[in-house]
Amino acid sequence: MSYYFTILSPTDTPIFNIAFGTSKSGGDGIARFRFPDTAQYMNQFIIHSSLDIVEETQWTNGGMYLKHIDTYPPAAAYISAFLTPSGARFLLLHQPPQLPASNSSSLGASSLLGASGSTTRASSSSIAANPTSPQTEEAVRQFMNEIYESYVKTAMSPFYKQGMEIRSPVFRTKVTAAGKKWL
Amino acid sequence: MTVYSFYIFDRHAECIYKRRWLPRPTSVAGKPQTQGGPTGLGQTVRASDDDAKLVFGTVFSLRNMVRKLGGDDDNFISYTTNQYKLHYYETPTNIKFVMLTDLKSPSMRIALQQIYINLFVEYVVKNPLSPVEHPGGVGVNNELFEESLEQFVTRVLA
Amino acid sequence: MSATKASRIGEEIWKTRIDKVNAELVTLTYGTIVAQLCQDYDSNYQDVNKQLDKMGYNIGMRLIEDFLAKSGVGRCANFRETADMIAKVGFKIFLNVAPTVTNWSSDNNQFSLIFDENPLADFVELPDDGRAQDELWFSNILCGVLRGSLEMVQMQIEAHFVSDVLRGDDTTEMRVSLVRYIEDEMPPEEE
Repeated sequence: MSYYFTILSPTDTPIFNIAFGTSKSGGDGIARFRFPDTAQYMNQFIIHSSLDIVEETQWTNGGMYLKHIDTYPPAAAYISAFLTPSGARFLLLHQPPQLPASNSSSLGASSLLGASGSTTRASSSSIAANPTSPQTEEAVRQFMNEIYESYVKTAMSPFYKQGMEIRSPVFRTKVTAAGKKWL
Repeated sequence: MTVYSFYIFDRHAECIYKRRWLPRPTSVAGKPQTQGGPTGLGQTVRASDDDAKLVFGTVFSLRNMVRKLGGDDDNFISYTTNQYKLHYYETPTNIKFVMLTDLKSPSMRIALQQIYINLFVEYVVKNPLSPVEHPGGVGVNNELFEESLEQFVTRVLA
Repeated sequence: MSATKASRIGEEIWKTRIDKVNAELVTLTYGTIVAQLCQDYDSNYQDVNKQLDKMGYNIGMRLIEDFLAKSGVGRCANFRETADMIAKVGFKIFLNVAPTVTNWSSDNNQFSLIFDENPLADFVELPDDGRAQDELWFSNILCGVLRGSLEMVQMQIEAHFVSDVLRGDDTTEMRVSLVRYIEDEMPPEEE
């Protein structure tokens, strides 16, 4: 399972991006998207295109966590969303690993995002393999809540200006840790 | 008892506040003397500005002498003459509070401390618009402080 | 007066005589001031440090009166006692922290305050412009507060931070040195 996480400011500026892989079921926390060559911009494209649905959904649901809201089948990308009361949006794209059977295509070259070799890791019952299961939903909720807490603390720093890119290394570390813990 | 006058001196030896009260006829009932203030001070002759300097000189010398005799932590509390009683309180920041009363007055040390804590600190020091130092009494002569001092002296001490 | 007695006094005053205010309000207010100063001084952090110290100095000159009014303590017998008074009573009642007094110089004129916690710096991450980490002392106002308040009780001191967890140091440490005791001022000579 690979993840792509984005925070959008209330004025639709992306202020934070991170890509990471699952750490559950023996995962090593490195993102391995199915189409590594295009993942970088495709992920952003997919995640931003779900904003329309966020807008539709946000008033129908009293909670901040909107759960799984969108799917983009060609890339097997599932989008979950979390809204802060101030209008910032946390969007998480998750992409389950390819089934071992279909893992014949030669993607392997790209070192950072590519390496598709170790796909045996995710068992079929894990969070990673079931992006829509209640367990996954719960795990993402925990993840989002933890990020929310860190986000608030970061936003409280006097040197952070609202709506600016979050460049804090502390925040990035915390997001990585939260990803490791829950996803 | 009657309060005659009250002075505050800052750490630069400057009088930053002075106030005199004429004894009201009612409060001095039974007291033979009816004219204002202690006769011994002769304030009719001297300008009141000199008064403050005189008072400061007195307490300053007295305090230094007391410390020479009794050690650095010693302080004098009051002295009495035939005509009046002078009460003295000094804060560790060297602000000196002096009050002159008639002879019947009990110790005013607590009262002076109260004036410092409840009036001076609250209404002068904590007033953000008042300067930190008060050359010529600037900042001390604000309405809140004056009024509360008036009340304190007339109601609490009377 | 011993350090433990000072701690007791500080604790007692903190519990009974201090109006409490929301900690985030203080943190955000102070943070905003520093951030604004950084902006106003175009990220010249030396100037920001200086300005914070100056602001603290003005605060200290007033705060000491409030401190004395609330605590009712008298003059300290020596500088060691002063240090305990600052750490265990002063910081306790105004910031609800009690830094550790340590690293005394052999002549007893210099000591360090180690802050385990610093409410002014909660949430703070210094700007990542490559200079703030080396130049800005975020809590420098505290140095000024000590300088101002001790001057009012006839002690000229020098105070500066030597390390700060915000910069990635292990501790937050302030060094305080006694320069001299100030003599009483005499009234100006009459002409």
